[in-house]
Amino acid sequence: MLAMDQGVVEEWLSEFKTLPDNAVSNYAASLKDKGSLVPALYKVIRENYSDLLEPVCHQLFEFYRSGEPQLQRFTLQFLPELLWSLLSVSAARDPHTSGCIEALLLGIYNLEIVDKDGQSKILSFTVPSLSKPSVYHEPSTFGSMALTEGALSNHGLSRVVYSGPHLQRETFTAQNRFEVLTFLLLCYNAVLSYMTSTSLQSLCQLSSRVCICGYPRQQMRRYKGINARLTVTSEFLVQLITGIHYALCNGEVEVGSKALDDVLYRAQLELFPEALLVGNAIKSSLHGAALKSNNKEGARSIQVEITPTSSRISRNAVTSLSIRGHRWKRHDAVDLGSPDELMDISEVDEGVWPTGVGSDVTPPTITISNSVTTLNLGAKAIKKYRLGVRTSKDKDKEVGPLTTGRSASESVELSIKRLALTSSQSVPKAGALTSLTRTASAVFSRSFEQVTSGNSVPVPSNHTAASEASRYSCSLQEESMGYLSPTPNHTQRSPSISVHLGSDL
Amino acid sequence: MTARKSGSRLETEIERCRSETQWDKIPELVRQLSAKLISNDDLGELLLGECKLQTYLKENPIKQGASPRGPRPKLVEVRKHLTAALDRGNLKADYIQEASLLIAKLCYVEGEYSDALSHYNRLSLDDMQLVGAPVYRLSMIAEAYATKGLCLEKVPVASPALSNKNTGSPASSRSTTDREQDIITCYEKSGDIALLYLQEAEKALSAGIQNRSPKPGPTAQDQELGFFLETGLQRAHVIHFKNGNLTKGVGRFREILRAVETRTTQNLRMTIARQLAEILLRGMCEQSYWSPLEDPPTVSPLDDPTRQGHIHTKNYSLSRRPRVYTGENLFCPQENTEEALLLLLISESMANRDAVLSRIPEHNNDRIISLQSASVVYDLLTIALGRRGQYEMLSECLERAMKFAFEEFHLWYQLALSLMAAGKSARAVKVLKECIRLKPDDPTIPLLAVKLCIGPLHWMDEGECFAKMVIDMGEKAAEFRAKGYLAIGLVYSLKATDASLRSTQEEYQRKALGAFQRAQSLSSTDHLAAFYLALQLAVSRQIPEALGYVRQALQLQGDDVHSLHLLALLLSAQKHYHDALNIIEMALSEYPENFNLLYTKVKLEAMCSGPEEALLTCKHMLQIWKSFYNLTNPSDSGRGSSLLDRAIADRRQLNAMTLPDFSDPETVSGSSSSYSGSETVSPTSPPTSPSPPSPVFIFHSSPPSKNVSFRPPPPPAPPPRPTKTRNRSLSNHMTFLQFSSNWSLHATSIAASRVEQALSEVASSLQSSAPKHGPLHPWLTLAQIWLHAAEVYIGMSKPAEATACTQEAANLFPTSHNVLYMRGQIAELRGNMDEAKRWYEEALSINPTHVKTMQRLGLILHQLQRYSLSEKVLRDAVQVNRWVVKTQFKDFFVSTLGIIFHVVQREQLLTLCMCVPPSTAHEVWNSLGEVLQAQGNAAAATECFLTALELEASSPILPFTIIPRAL
Repeated sequence: MLAMDQGVVEEWLSEFKTLPDNAVSNYAASLKDKGSLVPALYKVIRENYSDLLEPVCHQLFEFYRSGEPQLQRFTLQFLPELLWSLLSVSAARDPHTSGCIEALLLGIYNLEIVDKDGQSKILSFTVPSLSKPSVYHEPSTFGSMALTEGALSNHGLSRVVYSGPHLQRETFTAQNRFEVLTFLLLCYNAVLSYMTSTSLQSLCQLSSRVCICGYPRQQMRRYKGINARLTVTSEFLVQLITGIHYALCNGEVEVGSKALDDVLYRAQLELFPEALLVGNAIKSSLHGAALKSNNKEGARSIQVEITPTSSRISRNAVTSLSIRGHRWKRHDAVDLGSPDELMDISEVDEGVWPTGVGSDVTPPTITISNSVTTLNLGAKAIKKYRLGVRTSKDKDKEVGPLTTGRSASESVELSIKRLALTSSQSVPKAGALTSLTRTASAVFSRSFEQVTSGNSVPVPSNHTAASEASRYSCSLQEESMGYLSPTPNHTQRSPSISVHLGSDL
Repeated sequence: MTARKSGSRLETEIERCRSETQWDKIPELVRQLSAKLISNDDLGELLLGECKLQTYLKENPIKQGASPRGPRPKLVEVRKHLTAALDRGNLKADYIQEASLLIAKLCYVEGEYSDALSHYNRLSLDDMQLVGAPVYRLSMIAEAYATKGLCLEKVPVASPALSNKNTGSPASSRSTTDREQDIITCYEKSGDIALLYLQEAEKALSAGIQNRSPKPGPTAQDQELGFFLETGLQRAHVIHFKNGNLTKGVGRFREILRAVETRTTQNLRMTIARQLAEILLRGMCEQSYWSPLEDPPTVSPLDDPTRQGHIHTKNYSLSRRPRVYTGENLFCPQENTEEALLLLLISESMANRDAVLSRIPEHNNDRIISLQSASVVYDLLTIALGRRGQYEMLSECLERAMKFAFEEFHLWYQLALSLMAAGKSARAVKVLKECIRLKPDDPTIPLLAVKLCIGPLHWMDEGECFAKMVIDMGEKAAEFRAKGYLAIGLVYSLKATDASLRSTQEEYQRKALGAFQRAQSLSSTDHLAAFYLALQLAVSRQIPEALGYVRQALQLQGDDVHSLHLLALLLSAQKHYHDALNIIEMALSEYPENFNLLYTKVKLEAMCSGPEEALLTCKHMLQIWKSFYNLTNPSDSGRGSSLLDRAIADRRQLNAMTLPDFSDPETVSGSSSSYSGSETVSPTSPPTSPSPPSPVFIFHSSPPSKNVSFRPPPPPAPPPRPTKTRNRSLSNHMTFLQFSSNWSLHATSIAASRVEQALSEVASSLQSSAPKHGPLHPWLTLAQIWLHAAEVYIGMSKPAEATACTQEAANLFPTSHNVLYMRGQIAELRGNMDEAKRWYEEALSINPTHVKTMQRLGLILHQLQRYSLSEKVLRDAVQVNRWVVKTQFKDFFVSTLGIIFHVVQREQLLTLCMCVPPSTAHEVWNSLGEVLQAQGNAAAATECFLTALELEASSPILPFTIIPRAL
């Protein structure tokens, strides 16, 4: 270690101690300007036996404890290097343990697992659901949600814990080591945007080494540090991959892709499905994207081009959407004796994986009979439907911001337009009208029936019918959900039955 | 609609056609128009000019990135029309504006950017009315802003002489940034108005369908945006990202996405949603995130630092903006993963809808396009959900991708992995089979399948098949070859444990040893190979050889918990109990919370240092349990009336403290009243469908701190405490047991109902088949601890304390055979043989393979001298189960039948003994010897005692099979 570096570090060690409390944030901002400091600190950490290591670790911990975000990030940038230092020592079974690094890491961990009041911190997030309106969508526009068991249980937003609560740790043991390290990586990943490219490179290097040491690939990478195998856990690898992903997309293409390969290699050998899953996904999603290598401006390789907004899929190809039209045509043309065939279609359509359970699967014959028996109801039904729309519109005008009604009526309008579209694709022009009316009538009568039956008793078959008669899935879902979790707008729905029917297309 | 009163129907019709971009109808309408009113000629010119320009653009679309190439003959006509319209000056002001806009657009198409700009400057676009404007005019204004932006990008800042604005001198840099801002503002305005236009157009269209009498007009084609609107909608954020200004780019994305969807914007939204999700996942982190409804941070690490100074705040306002999603309780993401997920779900539902299903060759390209756009979304979903450990949800998402998956390896493989990660093992294996078909050369896939087969599924035959696939790959499998041998070794090893015939068992053990040796020689640096070789040797009681290999394993991986545990058990088999205890202590210093090690420690301490030490360890286990699992339900602590709390709270040693007996009123009332529900769960009528009481806590068998999901409004409800809310506790177990597909099921208990099966497994895992995937369900662990304590008390001849401990376990698992067995032992201790027999019988009715119970029952039957009654039953059982039942089961029959046969026929006993594999449970042989001796058959008894002695000499303190075997 050069004397100059040592000087820089020593200066850094002394100046923070004398700092008055109110100058901390200015000091934190000024750290960026000390160009030679960070490389010097890396050197200290890499040279495990340096005398400076202990005071440096202590200082880094002080930084972290200060609570000043910039100082915390300053400490965190060394995390990959510190992790490697710890792991390589423990793998080499070096008696000279890196006690101060352990203490620093445990210190950060113990600070991070509790909140301000000293309670165990639980990291959770909300799983968004398309069945709840958001700033980006309205549930009624997504009709084709499969009514799976999972969809039912996830109806509404559920909050899921992804980390925590964690126990305070005083020492590293073989049992808790990766639990602690995984959590620390989680903290690191939360500040990835603030990390320097040196830190990201160090993370990639750490990933590579942890994964290949002791395996034949080590020779390929020509790394000669330790050659004992390091135990890893799947969760730890997933956290590493998250960081690598960021590095890959933000200039560190070369080390990043090497690291990703190495992690995948190890995940294969260890048969870790989680790490393989995420790693494969990243690899495949970056496959097409041309990654810009670390160019001078440090530009991020996030690029966006103007894309054509029209569908690139030709109109006459059968898609999940258009097959609905096809199916209706088939219902009318073919006579009603082939429920199996129909079931096949609906399964394909909704992506309902044929579950082994089978209890939910009832032949969707009801759908067919309905569409035929109520055929002559068609005209009336449509009239009534319009009525429904009008009333909801009037209401809209009166009440003003009664947005649910308005948007619903719009979606009905939409759906009618789409019905027209789909049927015109499959039916010769002359037949379009009749086909449309039939469709509409069937849709109406069907959903009407659902609503009425739903209103009287929440029949269990409601669900099963819904999953099969997929085109109603959304509206039905809403109905059945209404009973599972009564919502205030339930009363609003009833006046305009027709509002629900359109929402599925 | 708009308030414009245009009078004639014809004009309305023209307006509609312009809004719906049905240019082909315009000439006819213009003809009708001029037939009616001569003064409308100018308007006619305007319309014709517009229609010809638009038709030209439709036929010769401008490509993104390409510049229009100068004047073209067809456009001359357009210009003629438009000039004619303006010449006479008879037009209304609105139409004059329109004509000028069209001329400006024409200039752009002809490449006359400066001319176009001067037209726009004259018009002052910002003054054009948005409120009350007819729909088509919105489109014109939007296009005008976009065109203006395009022109500004082309025309240099200062003078036309400078060809490229980027080469501008430093002096002009200020105006360059101003210009840049102008350009962006143009595009942003254009985009906003375009969105408004599309919303209005759609509204008008559906209103039109409604109002038009029965005959619906020709169905509207999918409207296409065309070059100008597309540019207007997207160019602003493209520029932001090109400039490295992520904050602004993200903001623009969000603005577009927040606008209410129209049919035309669906594809745009799908793309943008995906792109924004990409940015959130690839370029943001939790700390640099800001929510869509918040203001962006002024300084963000996301922005290119060299351009930090150029941040402009949004500085324009429009008189009318596109409608955005509004309403109460709108979900607004608060975290980058949340937002990414929401966007991806939206994108996914659209991509899914566009899945091309037909497989005819003409649609190959379409199919590829739809597959690509969907698989990008699914990959991103995987990244987002994987980061948060939500594999259950991920597997459901990926199942929806299956409509794309025909012959697509990547999608199948990802589904298989997600199912595996979500613990849906059986289906994962099925999907993996398809993956193997699609990619037969990849050794990882069959290995993953073996992992599941020998782990949670216990499908040994399938496991063998998969493992053989890897071995058959030979050299191709490279590093995975050793893994293949390891896998097949494990299969054989587990099969040997399950085997019923002595010859089969020996065969499997031989095969397993061979495979492990092969694995070890192929990969000498793999500690697992050495370890499993050692374990297999240990199971077949080759103790010294096993010790050699376990040492080797420990050299390779010094802190491997299983190797250390095996070493301790091997030492205990050699009766070096103190050494074994030292090893356990050492292992515990690295794995302080490993209950498996602690169980062994209890046993060893009871042996070496007396029951007091062992009880202390039991107490320590309870403490660990509490700190470990109480953390997941913080509200549970502090109200302890249960034995657990008392045991921990009491500073004295567990054996010295007075345990609450059942005269304690509180405990009694608590147990009698609240247990009643669970007591009805008798072994004979197991609850087949425990009503799932919204499983508040879903524990997976992975680390207990993870995957605890709960719903937001009520804070995490505590799982029921052991004493008060026993019923819920039980049903929670049930739900857990029923739904946890990670649970390993014994091959023998298939006849039992699912719950019973699970429960008996719960219990039997107390014994031999130790947890296979990390710590077991916490309550199960707790029950195990209590039972261990009870055993220590029995060893101390303290029936009251033992009863109390057993009761604690019984409260958690009333139908566990281990609890019943323990009760039988206590009854024996109290000298109550009839009661003991009843308990043993009940234990056997739940788990007919529990060897210890059989042994005890055998002895009791003997003591009670009820040979004749049991003889018929047992004979029948042997007849039925002769070739099916597990080893231990036969031991039981041999020992008990031996008693009976002894009376009848000694030869038969010997035949029986020969045809079943030798039990390694020396106690069984010992009991058998005792029985025979008591019957006066000294010769046979001696044989048995000798066998017992021989086995005892190599018997570990706990069975070797307590160590989990998994890949």
